[in-house]
Amino acid sequence: MAQALTRDVTVRDVERELARLRDASTEPGQAPRLRTSVMTHVAWVPERWEEAATGTLAGLAERHPSRTILLFPRPDDPENRLDGDVDFRCFVRGGQEREVCSEVISLRLCGRRAAAPASVVLPLLVSDLPVFLRWRGPLPFDAPELGELLGIADRLVVDSREWPEPGRALPRLAELLGGIAVSDISWARTLPWRAAVATLWPDVRSASHLRVAGPEAEALLLYGWLRARLGRDVDLEREPAGEVELVEVDGREAGPRRVEPKTPSDLLSDQLEDFGRDPIYEEAVRRFASSPT
Amino acid sequence: MPCRRRSPVTELAENPLLKGLRARRTPEPCAVAIFGASGDLTQRKLFPALYALAFRNLLPEQFAVVGVARTPMSTEEFRERMREGVQEHGRDEFRSDVWEELAAGTRYVCADLVDEQEDREVIECLNELDEARGTAGNRVYYLAVPPSAIEPIVLQLGPKRASGGWTRLIVEKPFGHDLDSARRLNEVIRSYFEESEIFRIDHYLGKETVQNMLVLRFANGIFEPIWNRQFVDHVQITVAESLGIEDRAGFYEQAGAIRDIVQNHLLQLVALTAMEPPIDFSAESVRNEKVKVLRATHTPGPKHVVRGQYGPGHVEGEEVGGYREEQGVEPDSATETYVAAKLFVDNWRWADTPFYLRTGKRLPRRETTIAIQFKRAPHPPFEVDSEEGLRPNVLLIHIQPDEGVSLAVGAKVPGQGLTIRTVHMDFLYGGSFRVGLPEAYERLILDCLLGDATLFTRADEVEEQWALVDAMVAPWKRDRPHFPNYAAGTWGPPAADELLHRDGRSWRRH
Repeated sequence: MAQALTRDVTVRDVERELARLRDASTEPGQAPRLRTSVMTHVAWVPERWEEAATGTLAGLAERHPSRTILLFPRPDDPENRLDGDVDFRCFVRGGQEREVCSEVISLRLCGRRAAAPASVVLPLLVSDLPVFLRWRGPLPFDAPELGELLGIADRLVVDSREWPEPGRALPRLAELLGGIAVSDISWARTLPWRAAVATLWPDVRSASHLRVAGPEAEALLLYGWLRARLGRDVDLEREPAGEVELVEVDGREAGPRRVEPKTPSDLLSDQLEDFGRDPIYEEAVRRFASSPT
Repeated sequence: MPCRRRSPVTELAENPLLKGLRARRTPEPCAVAIFGASGDLTQRKLFPALYALAFRNLLPEQFAVVGVARTPMSTEEFRERMREGVQEHGRDEFRSDVWEELAAGTRYVCADLVDEQEDREVIECLNELDEARGTAGNRVYYLAVPPSAIEPIVLQLGPKRASGGWTRLIVEKPFGHDLDSARRLNEVIRSYFEESEIFRIDHYLGKETVQNMLVLRFANGIFEPIWNRQFVDHVQITVAESLGIEDRAGFYEQAGAIRDIVQNHLLQLVALTAMEPPIDFSAESVRNEKVKVLRATHTPGPKHVVRGQYGPGHVEGEEVGGYREEQGVEPDSATETYVAAKLFVDNWRWADTPFYLRTGKRLPRRETTIAIQFKRAPHPPFEVDSEEGLRPNVLLIHIQPDEGVSLAVGAKVPGQGLTIRTVHMDFLYGGSFRVGLPEAYERLILDCLLGDATLFTRADEVEEQWALVDAMVAPWKRDRPHFPNYAAGTWGPPAADELLHRDGRSWRRH
């Protein structure tokens, strides 16, 4: 691991440094380490999310070897420049002799450089592989940088729990759904609860009331999902909680068999395994957007 | 007009809430009865596999296991042994909540299945579990017993098989000891069980890379056009073991390498390598194509089959004894611990393309590989000296220990002049998908619980495999071999090298 690049770098510097680190990581006389990539993972990380994003990355790189490009926007910086760090991370899998390596490029986009992120990312994408864009925090729907990065990504990964007002943001997200596949980590968290509600069929065929104790984002997604799946209106009663603790449909409690606690890294990894669209999620979001609570 | 009530099945199929939930394959409620449950296989493989499935919530909530064996033991003692097996051999962390859930549905019945009174106890135990655990009369009978015990158990169990739910029967290899015995066993089993209920297990087919072979061939457009006699010079399949026979002398003396490995694992690998693309990935389509290959396969004659037996030698720096010195082995045993053979697949795709197979005990290392060696470039325009380091392209499929694929290609050595060397491009399976690979038994047990027989061997496949093996061993009855003929820790007898040298080829270098 190295942090060889810091202030005022160019994309060419980044590429050269990556090549140097790859060569340096091979001991003389040993089999060369393999760069293995299944995607380019671009993460947009505003300042307040930096720590959380770095923590998530620690477990992620091992599970999804890829070129990861972390973009830290600093639009208020008075200088227009690019700062960067390059890591070459290698992992040994149990029972295997050779290490497998992936690359992490951290770039601070200072000043006006933060307004044109796609031009920085484009030359660094690994050819022929899908691009996943993880957007940390609330989505600035009208900001040009979001539009630029959506233009080069195959899939947008968000966590609607990170949004201060998911009830307002979900209808705006619905407008994006036609153009790009979206994964929502909060939606993934509701999976065991949706499976549990499904076991209540057919008794909930004519359900009219949903009660959720949990975060707002998850409650709204479950609400949109149930209405979309049943094709009927349902009202929502929500009690705030840090995690989903209770889901009831018409007074019948849906209890998942075992909800495995997942790390942020695992949650993101799960999303990075999905390449197609999720029509059920899209229907849930659209149904919510058509008549929010 | 009378209102028709919807059946529960229709209701389930119409459940709109299930749509889009990840199609995780969870089986219906059922009980698994393992016969031969006091043996190594149950403790080392089957229970760790069941635990791994429970760990991932892949078993149904209403699930039970009944261990059946002649060894006197209480249910508590059986659970304790299985817990030790899970802790020692399992691939996941040990979680007591997962184990307790599995153990709560586990029973042990000490019974000799040939005894009518005792086998009634097994049936009663299973019926009780239907009540207590809600297993709904669905049964998997797992025969983890020596080959000689299969037929008596089936004869005893068959008439009393559960009639309430579905029934599946798992039979461990080897299935018979020749074509006649395999046919008879098929007849006996099929007098009580439908072919769709019979799951003949060959754990090699549960390995990820073996399944990946089908993906590699049929999901990538670049391989199939060159996967034929026009471009492939020959195929080498190696199943090498560095271990001896451990404590399996009783079985191995009867089976030898040809029945232990060639009849099942090796011929399955031949079938997967040579088969035509199936129209879909259903059990019948895949197995139909494999059977066609096996029917088309022959060995050109006795001199194209080499057998061997290891003598003393060194493996991994340790001095080891010869086969005849192993405990339980006859001092003049003529059992082969090594087989090499040349086969041909007589069809449009493979005519005249040799498939060289070899397997052996006490070879220098453990390795299972399929090597597709392509023909040389027709006219390399380089000076002869430049090409010294150049070998034909080889696509190497590693099945164990490191699962993956590598391709040997010629590349220019950097610098002045033009020198060509062979370079390996490796794709290690775990490198791109860093998830723990499931053990073969996990996959196969889950498939059986789900009723998916794609990775199990069908009756006609087994019979074709035996027909081939019978043809290979027929000449052996006439001559007594000069054993031992290879030292432990070497790559087999010299005759195996000659088998390829005669054709102007050689075994892959290791």
